Amino acid sequence: MGGLDIETEEGRREALRRMLTIRAFDSEAGDRFADGEIPGFVHLYIGEEAVGVGTCASLEDEDYIASTHRGHGHCIAKGLDPKYMMAELYGKAEGYCNGKGGSMHIADVDAGMLGANGIVGAGPPLATGAALSIDYQDRDQVAVGFLGDGAVAQGQVHEAMNLAATWDLPAIFVIENNHYGEGTPVEEQHNVDNLSDTAQAYDIPGLTVDGMDVTAVAEAVGEARARARAGDGPSLIEAETYRYRGHYEGDEEPYRDEDEIERWKARDPIDSFKERLIDRGELTAEEFDELEHEIEAEIEAAVEYAQSAEPPAPHEAYEDMFAETPPEIERFATAARTDGGERIEDSRSTSDRSRSEGGERR
Amino acid sequence: MARVGLVVNPAAGRDIRRLTGGASVVDNYAKRRVADCVLEGLTAVADRPSVRLMPDRSGIADHILEEAPDAIEAEALEMPVENTAADTRRAAARFREAGVGAVVVLGGDGTTRDVASEIGSVPVVAVSTGTNNVVPSAVDGTVAGVAAALVATGAVLAADVVDRHGRIEARAETPNGEKRLTALAAAEVSSRSFIGSRALLDPDDLRGGVVSRARPGDIGLPAIAGALEPVAPDEPGGVAVRLTDPENSPRTARAVLAPGVVATVGIESCERVDSDEPVTFEVPDGVVGADGERELELTDASVEFRVRSDGPRLVDVDAALTIGANAGAFALEATDAPPAPED
Repeated sequence: MGGLDIETEEGRREALRRMLTIRAFDSEAGDRFADGEIPGFVHLYIGEEAVGVGTCASLEDEDYIASTHRGHGHCIAKGLDPKYMMAELYGKAEGYCNGKGGSMHIADVDAGMLGANGIVGAGPPLATGAALSIDYQDRDQVAVGFLGDGAVAQGQVHEAMNLAATWDLPAIFVIENNHYGEGTPVEEQHNVDNLSDTAQAYDIPGLTVDGMDVTAVAEAVGEARARARAGDGPSLIEAETYRYRGHYEGDEEPYRDEDEIERWKARDPIDSFKERLIDRGELTAEEFDELEHEIEAEIEAAVEYAQSAEPPAPHEAYEDMFAETPPEIERFATAARTDGGERIEDSRSTSDRSRSEGGERR
Repeated sequence: MARVGLVVNPAAGRDIRRLTGGASVVDNYAKRRVADCVLEGLTAVADRPSVRLMPDRSGIADHILEEAPDAIEAEALEMPVENTAADTRRAAARFREAGVGAVVVLGGDGTTRDVASEIGSVPVVAVSTGTNNVVPSAVDGTVAGVAAALVATGAVLAADVVDRHGRIEARAETPNGEKRLTALAAAEVSSRSFIGSRALLDPDDLRGGVVSRARPGDIGLPAIAGALEPVAPDEPGGVAVRLTDPENSPRTARAVLAPGVVATVGIESCERVDSDEPVTFEVPDGVVGADGERELELTDASVEFRVRSDGPRLVDVDAALTIGANAGAFALEATDAPPAPED
C-alpha cells in the first residue's frame, strides 16, 4: 500500500479508513500506555491525521518518508501494518524493529518508511539523503521529510533543506505545524508568522495549507511531487494542524485551554471529511459506523497480538543494530553474554516477515 | 479628529500558486514595511488623521505601532483575535461603527472581500499584497496612505474619488439545503470536487462563472470575459461566461488565468448580464469559487448567480491625489509648514 487516488471514490474511502485507523491506533496506544502495558514513551498523532494521510495519498509506493517522534500516523498512512506496529510499541520480537525500537523508532525501509525518530528535526536530513540516492541512481521517486514546527529552527533542518535546494534533489519537506513545540507556542519560537516563509532562504517554493483538510494536503504534496520529479528541486509545505492530546501522554498542558482545543476539534479532519463524503452521496452514516467498528476490531486484534507475542531473547540484544556488526560491538556482546551460547548470525529483517492483510509487501 | 482604519492580513499570499504559477511571496516583513509606508503617507496632509489597526497574533500591528511616525496617533482595536478571516470582518465592523473616514486594506481579493462584507459605505483603499488580485491595486503604500488621509479628512470629497465596485451573490440549491457565498470580481464554477488547496489551478477545470467586472488586464475569469465583453469595475451588471473544451469549440480566447499562466479556453457563451439578473449553472460535482479561490463543494446542485451593485466603495488613489493637489491639500501655508530641516 502507498499512494491512493483521492480523486476517486475508492481512494477517498481509503483515505478515510487510514485516518480512522490512525485515530483508533493512537487512542488505544494512549490507553495501553496509561495502563502501564507499553514501555517507553508514546506521542500521539490524534488530530493531525489529515497531514500524514494527505501526504502519503499523493506519493507512490516506492517513495520514501522520514518521520518524527510522533510517527504512528505516518506509518499507517504509508501502509504499515498496525499489528506489527503495536508489537513494536509493546517491545515484542514480531515488531517492525524486532521490539528494540519502540514507538519512536518504527521503520520499514521496504515500505519506504525510513523511520520515526527520537531526535527533533532528524527527518529532513534522512529525506535529503534518500533524495540524493534517488537522484544518483536516477530513479523515479521522491523523499518526504516530516518535521514539527519546533524543528524548523534546528540546524540540521537548515542544512538538509539547503543541500536539497542547492542540488535540486527530489525532496519534499512537510512541516506539521501543530502550534506548540512541546509546550511553547509557535509564535514564541519563530519570528516568521508562516513557517513556510523560511523557504525563501533556500530559493524554493514554500506554501501553507489547511492541515485539517486531507484534500488540501494531498493536492499540495501532489504538486510538490510533480515539481520534484520534473527535476525542479524540493518544496516546503507547511500544514496547519493541531494535536488534541498533550505533547506526551501525561502532559498536563498548562500552556493551552479547553476552548482552544474545542475550536480545533470543530474542524476535525475525520468528521469534516466524513460529512463531505456523506454530502457527496458516497458514504452513509451507517457505513461510517461500520467502518469505524471494523477498524476498532482490527486495532483490538493488534493489541491482543502484541500482548501475546514474545519479547526478543536477551541473546539477540546486540543484533539488528548495524548492517555489519563492528568488531568492538561484537567483542562487547560476546563478553556480555551470560548464557554461553552462540551468536545467531542472521537476525530477522522486516522484509522476511509475512504481513497480515492490508500490509502486503511488494 | 479624522480616523483611518488599517487592516493588514497576515495570512494573505502564501498559497499553492507559489508552486504552480508565477506568484511571488510577500512575507510579513514586507507587509509591515508597506504598512509603515501607509502611516507615513498619512502625514502628507496638514490635518493628520489618527489610525486604528486590526490586531493580529503575528506581531504585525505591534511592529507598526512601534514604528508609527510621532505625528500620527495610532492604536490597535481591542477585539478578540482568532487568526482567521473572522478577524478581518470583525475589524471592518468596528471601523464602520467607529465612523472612520477611510480604511486601508493590505491583502488580496479575499481580504478585500472580507472587509467589504462589513464595511458598509466607508471608502476603502485596497492595496494588493496577495497572490493574484483583481480588485486591490498594486500601489505604493505611502501613496495609498496619502489617498486615505485626503479622503478621511475631507480634503477630498469621497464621492469624487470612489467607485462603487460590484459583487456577485451565489446561491446554491443542494440536496442538503441552501448554501451561499459572495465574491467581488468573479464567482467561478470548477469541475474539481474539493476545495483542496483553494486556488483554481488548472484551466481545464474551469467551467465558467459570473464576473462583476471584465478587463483584459485583470487576472482569471474577469480576464477571459474582458477579452470578449469588457465591463468597467464601476459599471452596473457583469458578464456570464460558459467555457468548454477549446479543442471542440469554434470560439476560443487566450487570457491570463493566474500569474505566469496564459491559457486558451473554449468559449461556449459570453454574455452581458444586468444587475440582479439571475444566471444559473448546474453543478453535478464541482466547486464554486470566489475571486480565484475554491470555496463551496457541491454535488447535484443548481447555482444561481446575481451581480449586485452594492459592493465596496473603492478609492481611486490616482484621482484622490490629483484632486487633492488641485484643491491645494499639499501646498501648505507658512504657518502650517513643518520647520525647515537643519543642514
